[in-house]
Amino acid sequence: MFVVRIGFVHFIPGATWEGQQTKNKFEKMTWARRFVHLRIKGGILNHMMKRLMSCFTNRITSALLFLLIILNAQAQEISTDPAAISAGEALFKADCKTCHRVKEKLIGPALKDVEKRVPSVEWIKNWVRNSAKVIASGDEYANKIYNENAKSQMTAFTGYTDAQIMNVLAYIKAEGAKADVVATAATPAGQGGGGEGVPSGYVNAILVGMVVILIILVVILVLIVNALRRFLDQKQMSEEDREVVNSPISFGSVTSSPGFIFLVVFIVGMIAFKGVIDGLYSIGVQKGYQPKQPIAFSHKIHAGQYEIECKYCHTGVMKGKQANIPSPNICMNCHTQIKSGTITGEGEIAKIYAAVGFDPMTSTYTGVTKPIEWVRIHNLPDLAYFNHSQHVNVGGIACETCHGPIKEMDVVKQYSLLTMGWCIDCHRKTDVNTKGNAYYDKLLELHNSKKPMKVEDIGGLECSKCHY
Amino acid sequence: MSMMSIRNSIAILSAAVLMAGCKAGGDNPGREYAPNMYHSVAYEPLSQITDTDAGRWANSLNNDRGEYYNSNGYNPYKMNMREPAPHTVKRNAYGWLPYHGKNVPKDSVPIVTAGLRSPLDSTAEVVAEGKFLFESYCKHCHGAKGEADGKVSEKVAGVANLRGSSYQNITEGHIFHVITYGAGLMGAHGSQVSPEDRWKIAKYVKALQKQK
Repeated sequence: MFVVRIGFVHFIPGATWEGQQTKNKFEKMTWARRFVHLRIKGGILNHMMKRLMSCFTNRITSALLFLLIILNAQAQEISTDPAAISAGEALFKADCKTCHRVKEKLIGPALKDVEKRVPSVEWIKNWVRNSAKVIASGDEYANKIYNENAKSQMTAFTGYTDAQIMNVLAYIKAEGAKADVVATAATPAGQGGGGEGVPSGYVNAILVGMVVILIILVVILVLIVNALRRFLDQKQMSEEDREVVNSPISFGSVTSSPGFIFLVVFIVGMIAFKGVIDGLYSIGVQKGYQPKQPIAFSHKIHAGQYEIECKYCHTGVMKGKQANIPSPNICMNCHTQIKSGTITGEGEIAKIYAAVGFDPMTSTYTGVTKPIEWVRIHNLPDLAYFNHSQHVNVGGIACETCHGPIKEMDVVKQYSLLTMGWCIDCHRKTDVNTKGNAYYDKLLELHNSKKPMKVEDIGGLECSKCHY
Repeated sequence: MSMMSIRNSIAILSAAVLMAGCKAGGDNPGREYAPNMYHSVAYEPLSQITDTDAGRWANSLNNDRGEYYNSNGYNPYKMNMREPAPHTVKRNAYGWLPYHGKNVPKDSVPIVTAGLRSPLDSTAEVVAEGKFLFESYCKHCHGAKGEADGKVSEKVAGVANLRGSSYQNITEGHIFHVITYGAGLMGAHGSQVSPEDRWKIAKYVKALQKQK
């Protein structure tokens, strides 16, 4: 570090440095005092070199100095050793990842090529251990990046050793280089992926081809029939045979035959009958209801891709009758940061901002709020009582048991029938979740059977349990 | 005879087409069997209908509104759901009063929460409940082991690694405060997680930090 600084002075004449101010005082001191003074000032090497340079200004010294600079730089060389990289990776993930990424800016800047940007590796070490001190010392670069990053103070990692910091740098360097390789490698893979599925153009071509072949077949058959008829005409035949051969096959003669009419009436009648019965059974059953919601929220992305627990948003599910539609302040836990959606871009998330009164440009709340009118999907009539906490908290039933593959739904639809038969069926089949629940101890004792205790055994089919 | 059969089948067919309209799908909720039962008379916070004409044909109350109308006209936006009245406090089964540390400056949190003690004992049961709650409310960002490797942490910045050196010495009170009001880029979770659950999560986080 010191050597580098001297190099700086040496190669850029006219640059000022703190040692100059003490020069005159320094000249008058005895050697012993000078030594003590230099120790106190902490710049012993600076002063030594300054002295050296004023005494020997020949080329040899310059060459020696240059060599020193190179040697020093080599000592600060960032390792490419896999052990150092993996050690650095562990440290980076433990402490740095909170605010930094290698290739993108988060709270702190992207760290790729950091060693090329900053004044020196020694500077990084000081910064990591106590950035506030570096800023307070008036360091130009430190103050520049502090202001560039919204004056957010980096946590001081005082316990980091030189080796640890070098390992982290090794990881950053390796990761920065690797990211480009991945990006270039991904392109041909993406191109190759296009040929895997059968394009719809092929399907159409195959269908057209089949229709053409069928037409050709019909033409050939008609030609054969005509040829056969001509052949038979030339032969000696009785009147009856001749009538059969020459009888015209008309469309009307087929459709007016009793067999055909019976078949058509039967098929149409059965299809229609099934339609009527299905239709009657679907009255009052809202299975399949999939309304468009005011905000195109995707459960597939939130619960599926990002593995956010259902309970995180539907906070009532363990505690009350309703699972609850989350209030938009829960959305804002993440969406103060995530301003653009995976599928819909900024339009849909802007609707949350409008509801909670959030200005995404300044990240401040305006105080003007407006409720979001979600469309209710699952709706039991008032004649039936249902409680989420009893089923999810006490019974330990997974959400997907009734709500289906919610983690694959972009738009939620009603998956289950929600009819009484559907409830009863489950109450007959399901074992009571008695484990670790003292409430059931006595009931289990009374049940006293080798067969597991089902919900129906403890009154799960009683009318007044749900209808009162 | 055959013409009669055809006519009958056409009649059944049209009935089937009509019935097909009863089936739910897309924006159509399907035909309701007893609409007066599906549409509650009482205020329903989760199925609010502001249209005064909705279900006028099924009106059984002899008023001038549709049967399905379900809104509280006295509230802003006719909302059925309301925020708690101002200056009221929520108390839980233990009688705990709400924690107030809302405007504590960021760097004073450790000082303010130093005296804040968990009302719960460190039993295995409490820690196990804390684990369940941690996995419900925290895991998607902080990761299953608190190492900031949850799926959401790929997308959002500032997820703390709870196992990291700078978090080893935080107190349960500090964790409780941060869950309630958020910290840095983490949002406030006081509305989602009850005070009791917050203390349980704090217990579990401390247990997690001690794990090797």
